[in-house]
Amino acid sequence: MNIWQKLIIVAALATIIVVAGTIVYFNYVAKRRLIISTTSSLYDTKLLDALETDYEATHSVDIQIISAGTGIAIQHAENGDADLILVHAPAQEKTFLEEGWGENRKIIAYNFFTIVGPEADPAGIEGKTASDALKAIAAYGENLADQSGVTKIWASRGDNSGTHSKEQSLWKAAGYNYTEVSAEPWYGDVGQVMGATLTYADQKNAYTLSDIGTFLAYSKEGTISSVALLTEEKSLLNVYSVMAVKQTVAANQSYHEQINYADAMDFIKYLVSTETQQFITDYKKAEYGQSLFIGAVQPLKDDAPQPVVQWIKDFAFFNGSECPPQYRNGYPELYT
Amino acid sequence: MAVDIFASIIKAMELIISGDPELYGIVYRTLLFSGTAILLATLWGTPIALAISLKEFRGKNTIKAFFNSLIGIPTVVLGLLLFLAFSNGGPLGFLGLLYTGGGIIIGEAILVAPIIISIATTAIEAVDPDIMNLAKTLGASESQAVVAVLKEAVNGVLLSNLAAFNRAMAELGVALLVGGNIAGVGMRTDVLTTAISRYTQQGAFDLAIANGIILMLIVIAINMAVIVARKAKMLLVEVKPWVERIKR
Amino acid sequence: MTVVAELKNVTKTYGDNTVLDDVTLQVQEGEILALLGPNGSGKTTILKILAFIESPTSGEVKFLGEVVNFKKVEQARLRSTLVFQKTVLFGASVYNNIAYGLKVRKTPKNVIDAEVKNALRLVRLEGFEKRPARKLSGGEQQRVAIARALVLKTDLLLLDEPTANLDPKNAGILEEVIAEVNRKMKTTIVIATHNMFQAKALPQRIALMNEGKITEVGTSAEVFGKLSKNLARFAAVANTFVGTATATSEGTTMVDIGNGVKVEVTAQTQGEASIFVNPQDIILSKCAIESSARNVFTGRVTEITDLGSLVKLKVDVGKPFTVQITKRSFSEMGLNLNAEVCIAFKASSVQVF
Repeated sequence: MNIWQKLIIVAALATIIVVAGTIVYFNYVAKRRLIISTTSSLYDTKLLDALETDYEATHSVDIQIISAGTGIAIQHAENGDADLILVHAPAQEKTFLEEGWGENRKIIAYNFFTIVGPEADPAGIEGKTASDALKAIAAYGENLADQSGVTKIWASRGDNSGTHSKEQSLWKAAGYNYTEVSAEPWYGDVGQVMGATLTYADQKNAYTLSDIGTFLAYSKEGTISSVALLTEEKSLLNVYSVMAVKQTVAANQSYHEQINYADAMDFIKYLVSTETQQFITDYKKAEYGQSLFIGAVQPLKDDAPQPVVQWIKDFAFFNGSECPPQYRNGYPELYT
Repeated sequence: MAVDIFASIIKAMELIISGDPELYGIVYRTLLFSGTAILLATLWGTPIALAISLKEFRGKNTIKAFFNSLIGIPTVVLGLLLFLAFSNGGPLGFLGLLYTGGGIIIGEAILVAPIIISIATTAIEAVDPDIMNLAKTLGASESQAVVAVLKEAVNGVLLSNLAAFNRAMAELGVALLVGGNIAGVGMRTDVLTTAISRYTQQGAFDLAIANGIILMLIVIAINMAVIVARKAKMLLVEVKPWVERIKR
Repeated sequence: MTVVAELKNVTKTYGDNTVLDDVTLQVQEGEILALLGPNGSGKTTILKILAFIESPTSGEVKFLGEVVNFKKVEQARLRSTLVFQKTVLFGASVYNNIAYGLKVRKTPKNVIDAEVKNALRLVRLEGFEKRPARKLSGGEQQRVAIARALVLKTDLLLLDEPTANLDPKNAGILEEVIAEVNRKMKTTIVIATHNMFQAKALPQRIALMNEGKITEVGTSAEVFGKLSKNLARFAAVANTFVGTATATSEGTTMVDIGNGVKVEVTAQTQGEASIFVNPQDIILSKCAIESSARNVFTGRVTEITDLGSLVKLKVDVGKPFTVQITKRSFSEMGLNLNAEVCIAFKASSVQVF
C-alpha cells in the first residue's frame, strides 16, 4: 500500500471517528434532547433559560433552545430540526397547523407591544392609539427636512418575526400599504432581532414597535434611553403559543423519527401547569415593577380579566378555539 | 449608549479570576471544537498538499488557485450551506450533526482546510526537490521518502496550523448556524464568538465585551507561545554545541 | 571477477533528449571505476540508474546477478547508494543525517551510535554529531554526505563529482577516504568525474563517456597510455590540449597546440599528441620573471573562481590555461579580470599522452 493510500485511509478514519463519535454520543450516551425553536423575545428575556433550568431539575431530558425568530422557528419545524416551537404570530401559526406541520397548540402567555421612541417624542404620539400614532409618525416622516434616507424616524424588525408581523398588521389597520410605507426614506429596515432593533432606534432617535419584555430588559440596564409611549390596547396584544411538531409530515407522509414527540408533549403539559403559569407571570415582576409575560391558561379558563381575554380570543383563536379539534392529537386534558 | 469599556475590562478580569463556570465552559468548548477541527483539517489537508506538490499533473495551478480562493469564504455562507445539508430536511440529516459540537467541528474543519492546504503546499514545494531522491538512495521506500520531505516542511505545516487556528477561533457563521448557540443546562454548543453574539442581542454589552477581550487574549497568547517556542528551539540548536564545547 | 552491476544496451531518453545511447558497462566487485567525461555526457544518469532512482527507457540492468525490475526496486536500493554532486542534507544534526539510512534499515540505536562515530572518524569529522548539518562549510558538508553513504556498507557506492566543488585540501582528504574505504572494506565504487587528474590517480578502471555513449573502457594505464583522441577531446578538463609534437635539437619535444602556443615537454613523442598541465604546477606572475621554467606565456585573466583558501584563474595565452594560486597571493598581486599576467611551468611537469 503506498503512502497516498495510507494517508487517505487515515483521513477518512479520522472523519468517521468524529462523525460516528458525535452520533453515538447523542443517540446513546447523552440524555434525550428536546429541541425547542423559539422567538427571540422569549429567549432574550431569559425566561426560557429559567424554565429550562426548572424543568431539567425534575426531568431527565436535555432541553436545547434555538433562538432565532418566528419565521426561522417555523422553518426549523418544517425541516424536522425542532420538536417544539414557541412563537407569537397567530396568522403564521394557523397556516402552520393547516399545512399539517404541527399539532396540539396551546396559548401560554400574553403581553402587549408598545411603540417606544425618544423621550422628546417629536411626532407627538404619546397616549395615542396605535393607529393614530403610526399616522403621526408617517406624517412627521414626510415632513422631515432630510429626505435622503439618512434620518430615520421608524425602525422595523424587517425579519418575518412575530413582532414584524404585528407591525405590518398595524400599518395596514392604520390605512397604509405596507410595501409603500416601508420604502419611504424615513423607514429604517434593521433586519435584526428586537435588541438590535431597539439599539438602532435609540441611536437614530426613531420610534419602533417592541414587545414589553425586551424593551424593559434593555431600558432597565440603561442600554437605551427610549421610552414607552402607548398604553395597552387590543391592536397591541401579543400572544405566545406553543405547538408540538408532528412526527408524520402531512405533505409527503414522511416520518420524522427523530422528532421527540413524547418529551415535547410533556413540556407542553408543564408549560400549562398552574405552577409554571404562576412562575411565568411572576418572572422578574419584582425587578421591573410589572410582569414581562402573563400566563394565559387560567385567564382563558376563567374568561377573565376582560376585555383582555376577549381580545385574545379575537386575535389568536382559530374557528373559535385555540386549537381546533382536527389539530389535536391525544392529551384531551389539555383542552378541557 | 451606557457601555463602559473600562468596566468591561474589569468584568473580564473578574470572570477569569473567579473561575466563572459559564465562561470556562464556553472557553473549553471553543478550544475543543476549534482544536479538533484543526486536527481534522490537517489530516485532510496534508495528503492533498503532498499530492499537489509532489505529483505532476495538468491543471495543477488551477487547483492551487482554487484552494487559495476558498481561504476567504465568508463563514456565514459556509455555515448556511452546512446548515441546509445537516438539517433533517437536507441530504446529510441522517448523520444527526445539526446543533452538535461534532457538526461545528466538521464545519470548521471544512472552513480552515483550504488554509492548511495552501500554506502546506507552499512549504512542501519549498523543500529541496532532491530530498526525495536522497531519501530513496539511502534506502527509503516511497512512503518513507514522502515522510522525509514532510519533515523538512514541518515548520511550514505548523505555521499553517496556527493560521487555521486563528481563523477557526474567530469565526462566527459556522458555529452559529450549525451549532445553534445552545446555552443553558445540559449539552451546550455555544462558543466564545456565538456567546458574544448572544450577549449583544440580549443587551448585556459588558459581558459581550468581556468575552471579546478574553477571546483576543487567548488568540494572542497562543500565537506568542508559538513564536517563543520556535525562537527557543532555534536558540537551543545553536547554543547546544557551544555549551558542549565549553563543558569539555 | 564477480560482476556487481551491469548495464546492457541501456538507453535513457527524456522526451526528445537522448541522454544515454545504447550503453553497455560492467562494474566489477571491489574495484574503483571512474566515469570520465564532460558535463552532459550522461555520467550522472548512469549513476542514478545504478542507484535505482532512475529507470532506463530500454535495455537491461543486472545487479548482483539478477535482472532488476524497476517497478519493485526498493530492496535493490538498500544495497546501492549515490552521493549527489550538489550536496543535499536534511535540516537536522550531522548525527541524524548520517543515521537516516540506518534508521530506515531498523538498526538498533547502539549500533547506529557506533557506526556514526566510526564514519565521522573516517571522514575526519570526529565530534561533529550534534552540529546542525546545514551550518557546516561546503567541504565538511560533502564529507557528511559521504559518511552518510559509507555507514550503509552497500554493495555499490556511487559518487557523482565528489570533489568538484572542493578546494584541494578537502579534495585530497576525500580522495584518501575513498581509497581507504575501497582498500579496507573492499567496497565497489563508481565515481563520475570530469577531473582527469583525479581519474588518473584513484580508479583502477576508467570508462570514457561522450554524448551519452561509452567511447572507451580499460584500466588507467591502458586508457592513459593510449594516444587517445577520446581522452584529448576532453575539452572540459582544464589544461588538456591536442597538438603536434616535433623533436627539438636539445632533446626535448615541442608540442604546437595552436594559436602560436608551443609547449616544451620532456617526454619523447612525435606527431599527434595530447598534453596536460596540472594547474597547481603553473606559476602566475605579473610578468616576465627570469626562471628555469621553459614554458613562459603572456596572456590575460579571463575568469576568476573563489575556492575558499584558493583561487582558480583562467588565463588566455592564445589557449586557455587554468591556474591555481592561494588567496593570499591573489590579493597581494591585486589581480582582476583582464589583468595582464604571465604563466610559467617546467617542461617536466607537462604530461603527454
